[in-house]
Amino acid sequence: MNGRALRIGIKRGWAEHMQLLRNRRELTTTLVGTAGIFALLLLWIGDEQVKGTDVSSGMFMTSGFLAFTVFSNALMTLPMALAADREEGTLLRLRTVPGGISAYLVGRAVTLLCQIAVQSALILATGVVVGGAPLPHDWPTLLWVLLLGTVAVVPLGAAIGCLLPGPKAAGAVLGLPMMGLMVTSGVMLPVTYMPEAVQWIAQAFPLYWQGLGLRAAFLPDAMLAAEIGGSWRLPYVAAVLAAWAVAGMLLAPVLVRRVTRRESGSRLAERQLAAQSS
Amino acid sequence: MSAAVSVRGLRMKYGAAEVLRGVDLEIRRGEIFTLLGPNGAGKTTTIEILEGFRNRSAGEVSVLGTDPERGGDAWRAKLGIVLQNWRDHNKWGVREIIAHLSEFYDDPHDPDGLLAAVGLTGQAGQQVGRLSGGQRRRLDVALGIVGRPELLFLDEPTTGFDPEARQEFHLLLEKLAADDGMTVLLTTHDLVEAEKLAHRTAILTGGRITACGTPAELARAVQAQSRVRWLEDGRERTLTTDDPSRAAWELHERFGGPVPGLEIRRPSLEESYLELIGRAA
Ligand SMILES: Nc1ncnc2c1ncn2[C@@H]1O[C@H](COP(=O)(O)OP(=O)(O)OP(=O)(O)O)[C@@H](O)[C@H]1O
Ligand SMILES: [Mg+2]
Repeated sequence: MNGRALRIGIKRGWAEHMQLLRNRRELTTTLVGTAGIFALLLLWIGDEQVKGTDVSSGMFMTSGFLAFTVFSNALMTLPMALAADREEGTLLRLRTVPGGISAYLVGRAVTLLCQIAVQSALILATGVVVGGAPLPHDWPTLLWVLLLGTVAVVPLGAAIGCLLPGPKAAGAVLGLPMMGLMVTSGVMLPVTYMPEAVQWIAQAFPLYWQGLGLRAAFLPDAMLAAEIGGSWRLPYVAAVLAAWAVAGMLLAPVLVRRVTRRESGSRLAERQLAAQSS
Repeated sequence: MSAAVSVRGLRMKYGAAEVLRGVDLEIRRGEIFTLLGPNGAGKTTTIEILEGFRNRSAGEVSVLGTDPERGGDAWRAKLGIVLQNWRDHNKWGVREIIAHLSEFYDDPHDPDGLLAAVGLTGQAGQQVGRLSGGQRRRLDVALGIVGRPELLFLDEPTTGFDPEARQEFHLLLEKLAADDGMTVLLTTHDLVEAEKLAHRTAILTGGRITACGTPAELARAVQAQSRVRWLEDGRERTLTTDDPSRAAWELHERFGGPVPGLEIRRPSLEESYLELIGRAA
């Protein structure tokens, strides 16, 4: 990667971010899809308390939605964007340009981070304003968990995007597992509500750990009554998220290189034909 | 200076099907060269091998002095590429994408000048996805030449152009080749286009180059046999020959005067081309 590709990539990422902000439909989906649904949930059950604690559901859900935003942007939005760029030929276009693929990947990462930042801010604001959640008491923990959590899932999302045949398949393949993880990973409901077997499965995935780390930053220790082992387990949060990050970083470059090398005009035409006839 | 493109014994197999069976090509610097052939002849395959997007099965290939399979960024910076079907960057603005891609090059064309050259000044602020088919194609051409390539590949660039756009496109290419010394390789189905635009043309059929040369050379090389018809003993007789004038003279001698019902048909270049394609297939 040279300096020029990095610089163009950052500009590119910013340009695509602004395109999303300017696109009215995209903007409505984001606003209604994240903040709107979240606000409704807060109004509905935000005043209840998490069983066995005196923590309000509003506070609990604010940290949970934050974790889920990072997770779904990296593992759903990113793979779909990659698959769409492949299908439309955007990836191929950048292959025709010197340094284009590096700039493309930088650009995708920048767009993703911008989107995560905007949505996180939106959720935090909604949580505070509508749900009456306090601001996090531990900002350093909030920041490192958000960053490490992002690094843990972005390479993974890129790898998934390379394996998917197309953007439509992406939605179909990823939708159910994402919902499943959302329900079981303790970000919407305390994980200790789940049967023990489910708790074990949830702990294998990064979403649980990111949620836990964010709760540590947001919630009072009274919440620990509803956490596994009665502890925030922050060293584990760091270790598991780091392990996922390393795994993703080993896997993603191999797959990305394979996919971008194979890209060519006739392959593109083949796929577009197949997409039209299906 | 060495040739811009030099190909010897190029072969390409997809599974068991051999699409290219020993293609030889030599494209000189500054030349506009067309590759002509029917659907499925292997034009896109050939051009993608030259662009470094596809690995060949056998043969020697050199593009601007480099084997495309080993071409790095410095080599890529000297190429311009217009593929057969682009649908990318639909959400970008027309000027925005030209400016963005120009940044990858050391000495790019000025985006506004380029917009004017391809006749898209009025669409500068429009979203790429909203362009008409022909406008989109012009944008593709602009993006292909934005980095001032030494060698420009165009895969069927004029599909979807109205006659006026086609004419303008031809003029633009001629200007680029003349002013910047750019070498152009383009594929087309259209013999008339090839004849009009190209310094030289190669015809690709049956996995080989079956004819190659200037329009005049090509016309001579592909000229199909003429058909001579006349009446003899109340029946229609025909004869096909390379030299219809000689055949007519011999008939006149045999008849010792006018030949009844004499008719000579010399096929047009287009008919000759169609016959050549038919023969090879
Ligand atoms: N990836 C591939 N796998 C298998 N066969 C392929 C592949 N790409 C092309 N072919 C076959 O190779 C042959 C040549 O294809 P190619 O696209 O090079 O033709 P073309 O001359 O560009 O045709 P057209 O005028 O329709 O664009 C065709 O029979 C095609 O079906
Ligand atoms: Mg083709």
